[in-house]
Amino acid sequence: MTEPMPPGGSTSGKEGGALTQEQPGVSAASTTLPLRHSLRAAAIDPKLHDITEKFTEACNALKIGQLVKDEYFTLFESIGALEIMDTKMDSGFLQPGETLDEVYDTLAPLLPEEVIGIMDQLLCYEMAWHTGYPLSQTLLTSVYIDKLLWPEPRSVEQAQFYRGYVSEERRPGLLLRVLRAYCLALVKCVDSGIAVITNRDFFEEEDICTHTYNRVLFPQVGADVFVGELEDVIQNVQECAEEYITDDLKKAMLVRLEFRKNFLAALDLECPLDQLNKHWPLMQSNLVAINVTHQLGKPVEGSFSTKIQRRLASTVPPRPIVVLEFKDAFEKLKQLCADCEEATRFTSLPQNPLEYQSFMWAFASRSPPPLTYSRSYLSNLLFHPSSDLSILLQSDLGSLVFPASVVLDPSNWALSPPQNPNLPKDKRFQLAQLINDFTERAGHAYLEFWTALGQNRCRLRRMLCHAILGFDQVQNDAYTIDEGIMALTQEMGSAPENEIMPYPLTTWSYYRKLWMMEKVVFLGFEQDIYLPDEFAAQYHFLSTIASTRSRLLTNVSTHINAKYRRLFAAEGQTLRVATLVETANYVDSLLAESIGVHELSTALAKFWMVVLYLGLLGGKKLARPFSSPELRYELRMKPFWTLQPAEVPPFEEFRRDVWSYGPYDKLTPRFLEDLQNPQAELWMELDEAVKRAKEAWAQVKRFGAKSARAEGVEESWKREIQGVLASCVALGVAVAGIKGQAPKDLGEIRVEIPKVGSGKRYREGWVVGKVCRG
Amino acid sequence: MDNAEATAYLTQFIGKNLRIHTTDNRIFGGQMKCTDKDLNIILSLTYEYRKPSSAIIQRAIQASGNPSASVPWNSRYVGLVVVPGEHVTKIEYEEPTYGQGAVEL
Repeated sequence: MTEPMPPGGSTSGKEGGALTQEQPGVSAASTTLPLRHSLRAAAIDPKLHDITEKFTEACNALKIGQLVKDEYFTLFESIGALEIMDTKMDSGFLQPGETLDEVYDTLAPLLPEEVIGIMDQLLCYEMAWHTGYPLSQTLLTSVYIDKLLWPEPRSVEQAQFYRGYVSEERRPGLLLRVLRAYCLALVKCVDSGIAVITNRDFFEEEDICTHTYNRVLFPQVGADVFVGELEDVIQNVQECAEEYITDDLKKAMLVRLEFRKNFLAALDLECPLDQLNKHWPLMQSNLVAINVTHQLGKPVEGSFSTKIQRRLASTVPPRPIVVLEFKDAFEKLKQLCADCEEATRFTSLPQNPLEYQSFMWAFASRSPPPLTYSRSYLSNLLFHPSSDLSILLQSDLGSLVFPASVVLDPSNWALSPPQNPNLPKDKRFQLAQLINDFTERAGHAYLEFWTALGQNRCRLRRMLCHAILGFDQVQNDAYTIDEGIMALTQEMGSAPENEIMPYPLTTWSYYRKLWMMEKVVFLGFEQDIYLPDEFAAQYHFLSTIASTRSRLLTNVSTHINAKYRRLFAAEGQTLRVATLVETANYVDSLLAESIGVHELSTALAKFWMVVLYLGLLGGKKLARPFSSPELRYELRMKPFWTLQPAEVPPFEEFRRDVWSYGPYDKLTPRFLEDLQNPQAELWMELDEAVKRAKEAWAQVKRFGAKSARAEGVEESWKREIQGVLASCVALGVAVAGIKGQAPKDLGEIRVEIPKVGSGKRYREGWVVGKVCRG
Repeated sequence: MDNAEATAYLTQFIGKNLRIHTTDNRIFGGQMKCTDKDLNIILSLTYEYRKPSSAIIQRAIQASGNPSASVPWNSRYVGLVVVPGEHVTKIEYEEPTYGQGAVEL
């Protein structure tokens, strides 16, 4: 496709299609129309031939339904063509009497109140853009911004509310210059925002619209230029006498300019890492003052117009301007600043991928969910050019399977291969090579995992499903590398640091995979993806994965304990012992957590099973004429079907576990008997599971955030654990409400499912029904 | 003109640049892709041109004091469009500046 538009063809007289008073005819002017633009005038003017008559005649001679067309042009393509003069499709279609011209005069003097009003209006549109609306329906509807940006200015000085010559008395006064500086800084803020967002993985139109409609938002001009413009007008306003601007208006104006200056500096992509946390806190006080002085402003409705959309490079007709109330916009802005301020804490985290992971997870769980910009901002910090993914991966390996081990000793990487290729290579050198090999193989899946963590919650779940498949492959590849590592370490002698656990890399990949699978199911509950009649099945599945994970962790823990004993007995290994103690704490905390997940989900699976048998949820049963339980199971488990080793039990086995008393709509005598007998295995198991879950989570809590590698987000970590413990208690209460009831008494009992986001779930992913009577 | 002649005549404009003037005084410049009996024309890679209104011209002349002041046409990229035959007022063929324009007019 040819490069779109040039500066309107206005600058070069020859190319520019000058239309003057003397020759108003369209036909006369059209001969010099620029068709394909170049910066320089074309050497030869294209020759034009009027073919109207013959063309029309030829068309008339065509048969009905006959098309003369490019053989590569398909009907399918033609559907995408915009029909000219169609009101719904043609964005250039004008109603009778309607013109494209703006009647609004951008050089007309403004009152200070109006300047403040326009600033606040602009802020509303900026936030509307941040929440996902296109620029064409928000900021680019401002006549002032349009004047600044079109025709495209060649320099910042040229970006004025007028172009070319303007008489002395029409030159913009102080207030218009204030507005100009504010608008320019705002435009640069949008540009920096787009730069940050497009730097990372984002989804156009799902997250945010980065389309600028062929308007150029000064990407090549540094933020400092705009800060300079703001500082100039700030000084001018400060010096301005009170008879022009009253004191409170002056203050209101200054705080908006101050805010914009700070915001611009904070959004600047080139802001050095150690300066990051400087700017966001500054804005807090600005924000309060802006909110208080909002009522001083007087909005100027005429300074925004849908007409501008007709001139933007857009293939859709004008759409209404998006209205976001100041109150809501302000809330969004406050949230954006708070989220970004929180994100800057990332730079001060302990340097450990597991800490990063906890931080990203907690950040994505913030409520309300962080805006796209804030998420990209955090991802940009994670993927900062100074951070190296392979180091992250190795540190991740070290924290679980290679604590205090010779395998990851940095000195391994300092060795070089022997000059004579016939000589054997140093074993440490070979170890480094194997780890490099693994890093290369796992790198892609590992990167995908981190990318997923930077997305919003819904997409996080979907992307994890994909990353799981990647880790499945990694686990498969790890097997041979593991054998190499095991053989090498064995040859290196029996010193305690040479000791490694069997199949470490396989274990690590498997652990990671299981963790992600748990999260996928867990997020499914959080996002209300499962229907109530699937609860029992999904919690059952969760409990199986968690139990596999805890078995895996038990192996790791055994190895660490054995190694610890050996190291402790050896001399001069204090440093290694310390690392090992840290790892042991981490693994113990993980182990307790995996047991907690397993027990609680087992209990919940049983609880929901009973509820479903008894039909206590009220409402009509879902009619599903087009599917069978087997097909539904297959569909639900689809992301996990192909995994090796198989994680999804075959349907028959699954049916036996989840529908242990036959189909839900038929109550068997065996079930009724068990239901009324509090000593039945069903209830005993349930109570035991709740009890063990409570113990396990209490243990996780005792180990603390540091052991769980969530030190950076201790607050939210504690809240989370507290929530799970409360869920355990609530489940105990709910069970007591049903246990031992005779079926005839159950008529009065209902079980309510607390709604997502209603604040009635102690943890969004742990859905505990509430038993009510009457 | 019989059907075969007409088809041959029209076929030679496929992929060539045309400028189509419409009833609302806009001009669409783009590559012809397709046409039919009703003179509907599909253009690809199209730019839309609109002449400035007389008010704008007047203002420009007043501002500059020069009766032959240059006022830009408004133009923008619109992509793939179909101009319905009933709105076509004039069709122009743009001869390529470079290369051969082997078209029998």
